[in-house]
Amino acid sequence: MNNVIKITIYTIRDQMRHKSFYVLLGLSILFILTVRGCYDGGYTVNGKMMDNVTFAWYFSKIVFHLIAVGMFLMVSMISIKIFSRDHEDGSLVLFLSRSVFRWQYVLGRVTGTWALCLIFMFILHLTIFLTVWAKTGTIISGYLTASLVSSINLLFVIACVCFLSLFMPDFISALFTMGILFVGFISDGGYQVINSDIVRSAVPSSVDLGPALWRVLYPKVFMVQAYADAIISKSEFHNMGSFHPLLNLSFFILLIMTLMLGCFNRKEI
Amino acid sequence: MIILDSVTKKFGTFAAVDSVSYTIQKGESFALLGPNGAGKTTIVRMLLDFIKPSSGSITINGLPAFDPESHKHIGYIAEQHMIPPYLSGFEYLSRHASLIGLSGKDVEKEVDRVLEIVSMKGQERIKSTAYSKGMKQRIGLGAALLGQPTLLILDEPITGLDPIGIRDVRQILENLRGKGVTVILNSHLLSEVEKTCETAAIMYKGKILIKDTINAIVKDHETLEDVFIRYIEHENE
Repeated sequence: MNNVIKITIYTIRDQMRHKSFYVLLGLSILFILTVRGCYDGGYTVNGKMMDNVTFAWYFSKIVFHLIAVGMFLMVSMISIKIFSRDHEDGSLVLFLSRSVFRWQYVLGRVTGTWALCLIFMFILHLTIFLTVWAKTGTIISGYLTASLVSSINLLFVIACVCFLSLFMPDFISALFTMGILFVGFISDGGYQVINSDIVRSAVPSSVDLGPALWRVLYPKVFMVQAYADAIISKSEFHNMGSFHPLLNLSFFILLIMTLMLGCFNRKEI
Repeated sequence: MIILDSVTKKFGTFAAVDSVSYTIQKGESFALLGPNGAGKTTIVRMLLDFIKPSSGSITINGLPAFDPESHKHIGYIAEQHMIPPYLSGFEYLSRHASLIGLSGKDVEKEVDRVLEIVSMKGQERIKSTAYSKGMKQRIGLGAALLGQPTLLILDEPITGLDPIGIRDVRQILENLRGKGVTVILNSHLLSEVEKTCETAAIMYKGKILIKDTINAIVKDHETLEDVFIRYIEHENE
């Protein structure tokens, strides 16, 4: 078996040894189940009665993004310790004293962490999906596809935190990554708001304002979330610039991974 | 065969290893001796490509040390061997065995074999956090012996071991003699080196002071310790 696959499997197994993993997963599912009561009963919005199917659909979308944000935090907390913990507990020596290339080690650790977090997030999204189905009989098609699309954001966060943790203290690398996400949230969120139907109809001239180049080229984490949202809503997706956010983020992930492998190759153990 | 050719390693302006050249033949039991900070562990770390030389080259069986392929048949035990706290000795050894290419039943067989050698049979399922320093060292030695290595790099392997453990390590090294296994031993215990190695080099401040067979280094009515102290004191004068 390839060393990358072996290290990926070890990473998943090692993370799953921690009881905190199951406690966190259990608490998250429990929290999601506690809000299932929201799917019952009727709601009045702007004086109009909203049926519970429509409400469940909107509510599920909000929870979809909340889960993603929660996952960003969790993923960055897991990722900050990958290299430093392996250095301290002898795992790094275990792998690299054998005929394991450094790129295989890095790729295996990143892939393993991503796979685990992807599964974690998918389980939470699946819980929402099943709850809505059980409560309203409605299948939100695209919900699970959107979950998989959104998981590329997790890979970006893992790559970013791991790369930065090679140069700066672990916690700072997580904060720095959150800062990158926050700037993207403001930039891309603003763009989405400006292009929303409400603002377009109120201020038609706003559509003529093209975004600055740095905003077009900036890592499109928020735009990927918006794209996932559009998959759930089956609505039009307002892309910023000519590059699809998935392409943009794939490019950044590739770039960060390449830089990380380059730096890790020179790292002294 | 291991060839170090004008290897230098600098940390800033400090030369931990200074233009070291020597060759270790296949099947040779070689001891690297020197006081703390002499550069012994730095050489070991360069052999395993944990750190890169500032200049010079290291070749292991014809391959550069930075090529992980050259590590394929290397067994290594670090000074104060660390085992991830969430792994048991068995899991740790299985992981090593899997990384050297064994699979399925072969992993279990090989792990059982080395557990027997390092006298850890029956304690292999305990989490490593419950192991004493000596037990960790034994498991580390077991990992180094997995898969019949052709090169054993032992960096202070008897640190933390009790007298029985030290005797076991000596026996293991004696058993490897004549089997074509090259041994590089870093140790402070000169009496053990004298018993287990054929050749030795004395290092001081990053330089090799002497490299020869132990019989040639140690003159009549002397011990290796006497020679070692004589060389170091001469350098200090």
